[in-house]
Amino acid sequence: MYGWIWRHLPGPLAVRAITAFVLVAGVVALLMFVVFPWVEPMLPFNQVTTE
Amino acid sequence: MSTVEHSGAGSGGLVGPGGDSGRDPVRTVVRGIGELLITAGLVVLLFVVYEVYVTDIMSAAKQRDATAELDQQWQQSTPEAERQRTENYNRPEGQGIAKMYIPAFGADYAFTILQGTTEETLEVGPGRYTDSGEPGAPGNFAVAGHRVGKGAPFNDIDLLESCDAIVVETQYSWFVYRVLPKRDEVASWATTKGADPRCAGTGPLGGEYSGVVGQQIVAPSDGSVILPVPGRADVRPDKGQEAALMTLTTCHPRFSDRERLIVHAVMVKQWAKNPDQPGETPPELKETS
Repeated sequence: MYGWIWRHLPGPLAVRAITAFVLVAGVVALLMFVVFPWVEPMLPFNQVTTE
Repeated sequence: MSTVEHSGAGSGGLVGPGGDSGRDPVRTVVRGIGELLITAGLVVLLFVVYEVYVTDIMSAAKQRDATAELDQQWQQSTPEAERQRTENYNRPEGQGIAKMYIPAFGADYAFTILQGTTEETLEVGPGRYTDSGEPGAPGNFAVAGHRVGKGAPFNDIDLLESCDAIVVETQYSWFVYRVLPKRDEVASWATTKGADPRCAGTGPLGGEYSGVVGQQIVAPSDGSVILPVPGRADVRPDKGQEAALMTLTTCHPRFSDRERLIVHAVMVKQWAKNPDQPGETPPELKETS
């Protein structure tokens, strides 16, 4: 999977490395700001109120 | 698979041991699964980082805004309200109503308590159960707060000792609550901490309140801990007999929501703020051990 992506990145090594870094950063940002906040309330470890 | 073969041969990029790793479909599939599993592990690790650190950063900014907003609110009261000096805790969900300090956790431990206990509110800071009592008034002023991430205001409330001060600041007053004796301290209270003048008024409560102790761990469904007489839905003390309690709730054990950690405190002192000396603070704030 990662090898396949790497082979399909265009340009010389430096450009590929930068592109790869940007891709990773994008995925991390997507997780941090969209996926995790969405999934968090459904997980069983941060409910602090009594009912 | 054809793409893999094509690209493997074409670009000549990463070629594993043996030189033809990209061409063996079994190897490709196994490696793909392995990479997916490693990725899943990294995502879970990243989630832990998010939960424990990143939410702290986000909440700190929101808490700062809420505090600034409350300060502004306190400053721009009408002359009428200023004359009467009546507190207004009837603010909408998510708005600041008071500030809390726990000197035992250090001089910098300060949080703005907000109205309500929804997810969004608790992201900003500790939230008051809307139907619970008011700060400084007879009844039970109950506040929920996160223990992990989101600023973790109640991270360490399991370490609160009996008699530790919880100071609540409102627009016109300071209220000093002290954590009640814990279950195993009740019997010997008079000869131990009860002898300390600092702890005056903190002793075990009598009457309907005799079951109320400084710390307890309850099931998440046990809403009775925030009642005016905690744990007693059947009694309602007469006016004048009612104690002014404060109750903190958070999750327990840490990183789990299996149970709730509850801390009960009783009000022992209160001050009206002196309009002529706006910077004056109660001496309890210096009890930073």
